[in-house]
Amino acid sequence: MAFLLKRRTVVPGFGLSLGLTVLYTCLVVLIPLAGLFVKSWALPWAEIGEILSAPRVVASFKLTFLTSLIAASLNLVFGLLVAWVLVRYRFPGKSLLDALVDLPFALPTAVAGITLTTLYARNGWIGQYLEPYGIKAAYSQLGIVIALTFIGLPFVVRTVQPVLEDLDPESEDAAYSLGAGRLQVFTKVVLPLLWPALLTGFALSFARALGEYGSVVFIAGNMPMKTEVVSLLIVTRLEEYDYAGATTIAAAMLLMSFVVLLIVNLLQWWSRRWQAA
Amino acid sequence: MSIAVNGIVKCFGAFTALDRIDLEVKTGELVALLGPSGSGKTTLLRIIAGLEFADAGRVLFDGVDTTSRPVRDRNIGFVFQHYALFKHMTVFENVAFGLRVRPRKTRPTKSEIRDRVERLLALVQLEALRNRYPSQLSGGQRQRIALARALAVEPKVLLLDEPFGALDAKVRAELRAWLRRLHDEIHVTSVFVTHDQEEALEVADRVVVMNQGKIEQVGSPEEVYHRPASPFVYDFLGHVNIFHGRIEDGKVQIDASTEGSPSDKTEANASPRRIYVRPHLLDIDHVPGGNGTFRAKVRDIRAAGPVVRVELVSDWNQVVTVEISHERHLALSLKEGADVFIRPREGKVFHEDYAI
Amino acid sequence: MNGIGTNTALVKSQPLVRTHESKWAKWGLTLLAFGFLGLFLLLPLAAIFSEGLKKGWSAYWTALKEPEAISAIKLTLLVAAIAVPANLVFGIVASWAIAKFEFRGKQILITLIDLPFSVSPVISGLIFVLIFGLQGYLGPWLREHDIKIIFAVPGIVLATVFITFPFIARELIPLMESQGRDEEEAALSLGANGWQTFFLVTLPNIKWGLLYGVILCNARAMGEFGAVSVVSGHIRGMTNTLPLHVEILYNEYQFVAAFAVASLLALLALATLALKKILEWKVRSESEARP
Repeated sequence: MAFLLKRRTVVPGFGLSLGLTVLYTCLVVLIPLAGLFVKSWALPWAEIGEILSAPRVVASFKLTFLTSLIAASLNLVFGLLVAWVLVRYRFPGKSLLDALVDLPFALPTAVAGITLTTLYARNGWIGQYLEPYGIKAAYSQLGIVIALTFIGLPFVVRTVQPVLEDLDPESEDAAYSLGAGRLQVFTKVVLPLLWPALLTGFALSFARALGEYGSVVFIAGNMPMKTEVVSLLIVTRLEEYDYAGATTIAAAMLLMSFVVLLIVNLLQWWSRRWQAA
Repeated sequence: MSIAVNGIVKCFGAFTALDRIDLEVKTGELVALLGPSGSGKTTLLRIIAGLEFADAGRVLFDGVDTTSRPVRDRNIGFVFQHYALFKHMTVFENVAFGLRVRPRKTRPTKSEIRDRVERLLALVQLEALRNRYPSQLSGGQRQRIALARALAVEPKVLLLDEPFGALDAKVRAELRAWLRRLHDEIHVTSVFVTHDQEEALEVADRVVVMNQGKIEQVGSPEEVYHRPASPFVYDFLGHVNIFHGRIEDGKVQIDASTEGSPSDKTEANASPRRIYVRPHLLDIDHVPGGNGTFRAKVRDIRAAGPVVRVELVSDWNQVVTVEISHERHLALSLKEGADVFIRPREGKVFHEDYAI
Repeated sequence: MNGIGTNTALVKSQPLVRTHESKWAKWGLTLLAFGFLGLFLLLPLAAIFSEGLKKGWSAYWTALKEPEAISAIKLTLLVAAIAVPANLVFGIVASWAIAKFEFRGKQILITLIDLPFSVSPVISGLIFVLIFGLQGYLGPWLREHDIKIIFAVPGIVLATVFITFPFIARELIPLMESQGRDEEEAALSLGANGWQTFFLVTLPNIKWGLLYGVILCNARAMGEFGAVSVVSGHIRGMTNTLPLHVEILYNEYQFVAAFAVASLLALLALATLALKKILEWKVRSESEARP
């Protein structure tokens, strides 16, 4: 391992620690993931194309992307709002609220799923008020959006919060002293500085929504062509012992998540560009 | 223990941090490695300590090659620039650490450890703080604890990296004098790194001036200050005025030319020279007189401090700094804007090739 | 749970409160934020306990004392007891290599460690089915030797280890990086050996960050649903973890029982959040400028 070292140090244990790390990472992450791609690569291209262009698969990809996009957008707006309020204002119960923002991270997705379904069902606490207006929340695409918004909620808040805290209040003061109005200061001074964090939070929330299973599967209703998300479709194929189908869809899905991850990294690099100057 | 460094080379990528360094430190000496940041002084110190590895060259302790001996077996005491105190341990535990980690065979008993730590805390005058945590100490106190911790293992060599770098001016001056006294008391071979020439000149027995990975000069503080071996040393050890000119029969002849371009007045056979003159080696007078006298206009006078610092502009628009005593200042009753004459008292010549 | 989202909150200090908005805007925005969080966070939380206790405490207790519930609790604890220590050791080892040394390929390694965060839970389960399942690479061999991994406890453990793989390493790497190498070098210069340096100097310096990672890792290990669901086979009393048990009860219309068990997981989540908050405060003091 020593040949990898760029600079020798007196701190011991490089070979041992890196060796173990690489070994464990290969065993737990790299080999299993590679297995997925090898398996789907083994299929002829025509079959891959056939699997991915089936109407049911296309519909579920469309649904997943659309609902994830809507949920991430909702989180973008409300995440900024929550981060803003948590950073800028002082009010009783603030640190409690701050801690609670992470609830969707900590609450098992199955619990979130059955709870949201119960809340938004026709006779649920919230569903009963939507029913008279003809809004069907649970077992519909709206339900998927609700579940995805719930699980993606902390991402935007937690990426924007530290940036907002670090924001130099003097640049805002400077803008006010130069005669800018409140809205102008927000759109011309604050927002440009927050954009990278907002976009990163948005992308993370979107990526999480794409692969979400537990919270969606209960509230979605899981009707093929209508409310069947990709991760559910994979499970369905698996339960039908259609390994080729499940694997191909999963590989396609995984590639898309990696693209989103790549975008996140590019955004983070982009967000650092003025820090270096 | 004496230290010898032979032909040490160290590169970080394309950057040469140390370029064939040779150095000897005698037993019981207190040596300063002085230089600007990036001169390689800290790297050299860390190589002596065994915290860094040289690409080539050898380090010898008492004539024995220790180049490949790991740091823990070198019997050195190292004081880190930011102290590197163990923040989860009390002052006492910090100082005792080096004794407690010894293998059982050589480990002192509990009471011996306690006695030795107490003695060291007394030496650094911090007995009362034995149960405090590093975060509860001032910078100067942390520095002294770091020193006590390094001394606890009874090192044959004490190495200090910018020991006063992170302290404010007053504490710095106090600790400087204290370190000098401490060294006189315990007499362990010591090397410390600093970028502050005053610190090096005041504390060390010998000063090693370093620049761009090379040693420029080694000598006593008096030597390096009064007889600098290179323009760099002259410039680095205090403010200096640079003129073009010659020295003839020990008399300074300054060319009234723009600094940087040789003047036509220079005789054909005499090569152009630079003259380095410290501000206190210039004098001001209202009348011309003596060799090398030239006219200048007073631009600024700073009379706060032990000497009066006068900034003047010569006829050829060079800014010249002169330091005179308060008495002289009173006698001259200088005013800003006044036309006066500057007379060099003494100068030192270097070839242009040495240009900084 | 996502490390990219959580660890940024770690190294923060108290925000500056300074506003130019009018009182009305301030209150309006605060109320709006409260409304949103109330609707999306507080209401579901309240609903879990309310539904679980709908038929009173005795029905609640009965649901929890059922043998199948007990065995689900046991299995969940077992899985966490294997996955968390495994990733704990890995997290320490990996962050030691990454934070204390400069080496080629470091960025690739960090990306690989982060990878499970961006893999859908369902896919995380699927990859193990593809290796160890009957149709998988090792399936025939495993069947010959009568070893069951998929639809058995080992599969659940594997999927959980994969899902929780990055948690502890992700918390420790930035923390160790912020602490540098100085204290380790000091310990070595004082004659300590490598293990002494690690146990006496490094470990005490990262203990709160480590605990933080363990808490998050544990919460995810106990609560994971998607990945475990794919590999478990849902054999009652055998391969059911708590989240899977919740699903089965819910699908059988045993709502009170489902929410009673769900409330256990919700309590775990709340405890996690409380501990997380406390530890964030502790970690902050760990990563603050060295003395």
